Amino acid sequence: MVEWLAAFWQTYNTLVYLLFTHAILALSIYITLNTGLLSVGNAAFAGIGAYTSALLTMKLDLPFPVCLAAGSAAAGLVGLAIGLPVLRLSGVYLALATLAFGEVIRVVFLNLEVTGGAMGLNGIPPKTELWHLVLACAALIYFFERLRRSRLGRTLDAIREDEVAARVMGIDVVYHKNLVFVLGAMLAGLAGGFNAHFTFFISPREYGFGPAVDILAFAVLGGTGSYWGPILGSTILTLLPELLRFLADFRGMVTGLVLFLVIVYLPNGLLEVPDVVRRMLRRGAKP
Amino acid sequence: MTRLVAWFSAAAVAAAALVGPLAARPAAADVKVGIAFALSGPIAVYGTPQRNGVQLAAREINARGGINGEKLVLVIEDEQGKKEEGINVFKKLIFQDKVLAIVGPTLSNSAFAADPIANAAKVPVLGVSNTASGITDIGPYIFRNSITEADILPVVIRTVKEKRGMKKVAVMYGNDDAFTKSGYEVFRQALADNKIEVLTTETFAKGDVDFSAQLTKIRSLEPDAIVVSALAEEAANIMLQARQLGIPDSVPFIGGNGFNNPKLFEIAGKAAEGTFVGGPWSIEDRSPKNVAFVKAYTEAYGQPPDQFAAQAYDGLHIVAAAIERARTTSDREKVREALLNLKGFVGATGPFEFKPNRDAKQDGKVFIVKGGKFTLFTD
Amino acid sequence: MLAQQLANGIALGSVYALFALGFTLVFGVLEVINLSQGAIAMFGAFFALAAVTALGIGIYPAMALAVAGAAILGVLIDRLALAPLRARKAPHLAPMIATIGLTIFLTSLAQGLFGAQVSRFPIGLVPIRIFEVGPFQVTQLQLVIVAIAAALMVALLLLLGRTRLGTAVRAVAESPRAAALLGIDVERIYLLTAAVTGALGGAAGVLIGLSFNAISPFMGEPILLKGIAVVILGGMGDPKGAMVGGVLLGLVEVLSVAYLSSDLRDAIAFGLLFLILVVRPQGLFGRRQARKA
Repeated sequence: MVEWLAAFWQTYNTLVYLLFTHAILALSIYITLNTGLLSVGNAAFAGIGAYTSALLTMKLDLPFPVCLAAGSAAAGLVGLAIGLPVLRLSGVYLALATLAFGEVIRVVFLNLEVTGGAMGLNGIPPKTELWHLVLACAALIYFFERLRRSRLGRTLDAIREDEVAARVMGIDVVYHKNLVFVLGAMLAGLAGGFNAHFTFFISPREYGFGPAVDILAFAVLGGTGSYWGPILGSTILTLLPELLRFLADFRGMVTGLVLFLVIVYLPNGLLEVPDVVRRMLRRGAKP
Repeated sequence: MTRLVAWFSAAAVAAAALVGPLAARPAAADVKVGIAFALSGPIAVYGTPQRNGVQLAAREINARGGINGEKLVLVIEDEQGKKEEGINVFKKLIFQDKVLAIVGPTLSNSAFAADPIANAAKVPVLGVSNTASGITDIGPYIFRNSITEADILPVVIRTVKEKRGMKKVAVMYGNDDAFTKSGYEVFRQALADNKIEVLTTETFAKGDVDFSAQLTKIRSLEPDAIVVSALAEEAANIMLQARQLGIPDSVPFIGGNGFNNPKLFEIAGKAAEGTFVGGPWSIEDRSPKNVAFVKAYTEAYGQPPDQFAAQAYDGLHIVAAAIERARTTSDREKVREALLNLKGFVGATGPFEFKPNRDAKQDGKVFIVKGGKFTLFTD
Repeated sequence: MLAQQLANGIALGSVYALFALGFTLVFGVLEVINLSQGAIAMFGAFFALAAVTALGIGIYPAMALAVAGAAILGVLIDRLALAPLRARKAPHLAPMIATIGLTIFLTSLAQGLFGAQVSRFPIGLVPIRIFEVGPFQVTQLQLVIVAIAAALMVALLLLLGRTRLGTAVRAVAESPRAAALLGIDVERIYLLTAAVTGALGGAAGVLIGLSFNAISPFMGEPILLKGIAVVILGGMGDPKGAMVGGVLLGLVEVLSVAYLSSDLRDAIAFGLLFLILVVRPQGLFGRRQARKA
C-alpha cells in the first residue's frame, strides 16, 4: 500500500500541485465576483507574480517565501495602479477592459528582455512543496470563512446586491472595490509564483486570453454562491482532462459541453446539484 | 455538510478512475518506450505526423523481430503542447509505465518543463523536434536528433550570398514563438557575419494572417531577398501576400527548418517558387533509406511525410538501435551510454550521431523550390 | 507607401467591421456578449471550404451556402444557450460564459472534423489580378472583400433603419417589455437577430479565409479579440460605430506596423482599447447611455 501510494504520488504530484494553484486562481476571481465585479485580468496578474518571483529566485537566489511575497505584491501593485481607472466601469465593460489589460501585459512579457521574450524563462528551480500549497489554501479557506461572517464580508455583499443602495448607506464603494481587486490580483500573483516554481518554465502564452477564460470557468462551473464553488470548479476542470485522456481529440468537446450545460441548466453552478437532487427526490416522493 | 460529503465521494470516484490504470500493469519483458507528442490542440499539426513516424518505425522494428528478440511497445501520450501536460505525461511514462526511454515532446516549450523531470529520474529523453538553444543543457539524459537552426541557417545564408550575390535583405519573424524567435537570432548573427545589410526587421504574432502592412513596407525598401523565420503555414501566407502585393519573383525568400513542409506548396503554390530552404531532410532525397521511408509512410497514412515525421521516425530507430546495443530491457543508464556512443547510424535524414553535448551532429542542406518541390541547390 | 498602407488598412478593417457588426448587433438587441461569434466565423469559413472542395462550386454560391449554414448555427446557439438563460432572466455574465463553453466545444469539434492543420481555398478561386488606382495597388480580392463587406453593412443598416422589421428590432433593443406591449413578437425578433448575427459572422469568416488563405479551427480567437476591440472603439451595440471602428482598427494596426514597430502592434491596439474604455466607455462616437450595461 505504501509503495503503491509512493508510485501514485510520483506520477501525479504535479497534478495535485495544479489542483492547489488552480484553486487559488479560482479564489482570486471569486473574491471580485463576490463583490459583483467581473475581472478577467487574473491570468495577467498570475503572470506578473510568476515572472517576478521566478526572476528573483533565478537572479538573486532570495528565499522562496520572499520571492513569492514579492510576486504577489508586484501583482497587487499593478492591480492598484489599474484598479483606480478601471473600476469606474461596471459589468461587461469592466470585463472587456481587464481583458484588454491582460493582452497588453502578455505583449509586454513578449517584448521585454528580462522575461526572455517568446522563449520565456527556463530552468526555474523547483521550490514549491505540497505543504506550502496546503498551508496557503488552508489559510485562504480560513480567511474566506472569516470574511463571510465579518462586517467586511457583509459590506461586499451589499455592494454586489445593489451598489447605489450601498453608497446611500454610507459604504465607501470605490475603496472596497479597489480592495477586492487588489486582493484578487495578489492571490493570482501568488498562484503564478507557486506554479513557476514547480513547472521549471514559464512563457507569455500561459497568461493570455485562453487561461483567463479558464480561470473564469473555474468559478462559474462550481458556482459563486460560496467560496467552495470555485474550488470545486477548479478541481473538476483540472481533473477532467486527465480522466478523459482516452477521448484524445474530443476531450475539449466534453470540457466545453460541461461548462455550457452547467451555465444554462445549473445557473448557480455545481454547488447547486445536491439541492436540485433533493428537490427532485422530494417531488418524486410526493405523489 | 451533506453537500461536502457528496463532493468527497465524487472526488473519491475520480481518484479511483485515475488510479485504475496503475493496478493493471503488464508484466512482460517488452521493451517499453514512451512517446509524448502534442496530439490535440493547435500543435497537433506537428505532433500527428510525429506519432505516425514513430508508429511506422515501431512496426518495422517489430516486423524484423523486435529488439534483441523482445517486442518494442510504444506508450503514446498526448502532451497537448502545454507545459503542465508535458510534465504530467512524462511522470506517467516514467513512474507508472516505467518506460526505458522517452521520445518527445513536440515543442521546445514543453521540453523545458518536462525534460528536467526525466533528467532527475535518470530516464533518457530524445527530442525529435526541439530546436531551441539550451535543451540539452537541461542535463546528461537529454538528447536530440533535431539539428538546430544554428547548424542550418548560416549555411543557407552563406550559400545564397556566394551563389546569388545577395547584399541587402529584409527580415521577418514570428516574435511570440520560441522556435521562430531563436531562428531569427541565428539569422541575425549569420547576416552580420556575412556582412549583409538588413534593411528592416518586421515581426508578426502566431495566428496572424494578414502581413500586408509589413510586406508593403518591405516592398518599398527593395531588398535582394526576404529572410523569414516562421512555420510553413505563416511562411506560405507571407509568400502569397508578398507576390499579390507586387514584390517581384526575382526577390526570393530564405527560410529554415520551419519551411520544410509540403504545406508550403499546398498553400503558397507558385508564390513559393525560388525559395531557399535549409534543413536536415528533404522528401526529394534519393538515398535508399529515405526512398523506402517515404514510400512506406505514404502507403501507411495516405499522405507524404514531412520533416517532423522523418525526424520522429529516425528518432525511434536511433533509440531502438541504442537499446539493441545496450542489450537491456530495463537499464536506463546503459541506454544512455549506448546513445552517447552510437556510431554509424544511417536513417531517412542521412548519417547520424550525437555530439558530446548530446546535440545532433548532422549536416544542414540547402534546397531551392523548383516546380513545387524542394530540390538540392547546386548551381 | 502611405497610400498603399491605407488601402491595406481599409481592406483589413472592412473585414473587422463586418465581423464586429454581428457582435455589436447581439449586444444591442440582447445585451449579450456572444463570445461564440469567432467560432461561428470559423465554421462559416469551413462551410465554404467544404462547399468549394466537395461540391466543386464557385466561391460566391459557396459563400451563400456558408452564410446560410452560419445563420442556422447562430439560431441554434440562441435556442440552446441564450434562450433558456433569457427565460430565466440570468445576469449578463451567464450568457457570456455559456458562449465561452460553446466556443471551446465548437473549436474542439472542428478540430475533430477537419483536423488541426491550416487549410486554404484553392488557388485562383478569386482571380489574382492587380489594379492600379492612382497611387494604390489593389488586388481584385481586396476589392471583392471591401465590396461584399460594404454591401452587407449597407443592407443591415437599411434593414434596421428603413423597414418595419428593423423598427421592431430597434424597439426590442430599447425595451423588450415595451416592445411586447406594442404587440411585437419579441422572441421572433431575437431569433431573427441570431440568424442575422450568425450570417454576418459566417460571411466575415469566409472573407477572412479568402483574404488571408488560412482556415483553421483556431482562427476564431484572434478575430474575436479584434472584434471586441472594434466594438469597444465604436461603442457597444452601435452598428455604425462598429463599421467606423473596424476600419479605424485596421488602419491603426497597419500604420503602427508601418511607422512604429510591428512588435508593438497588438500592444498599441489593446492599449488603445483599454484607454478608450477608461476614458470614453461609450465608445468614440457613442452617446452616454442612460441605462447601465
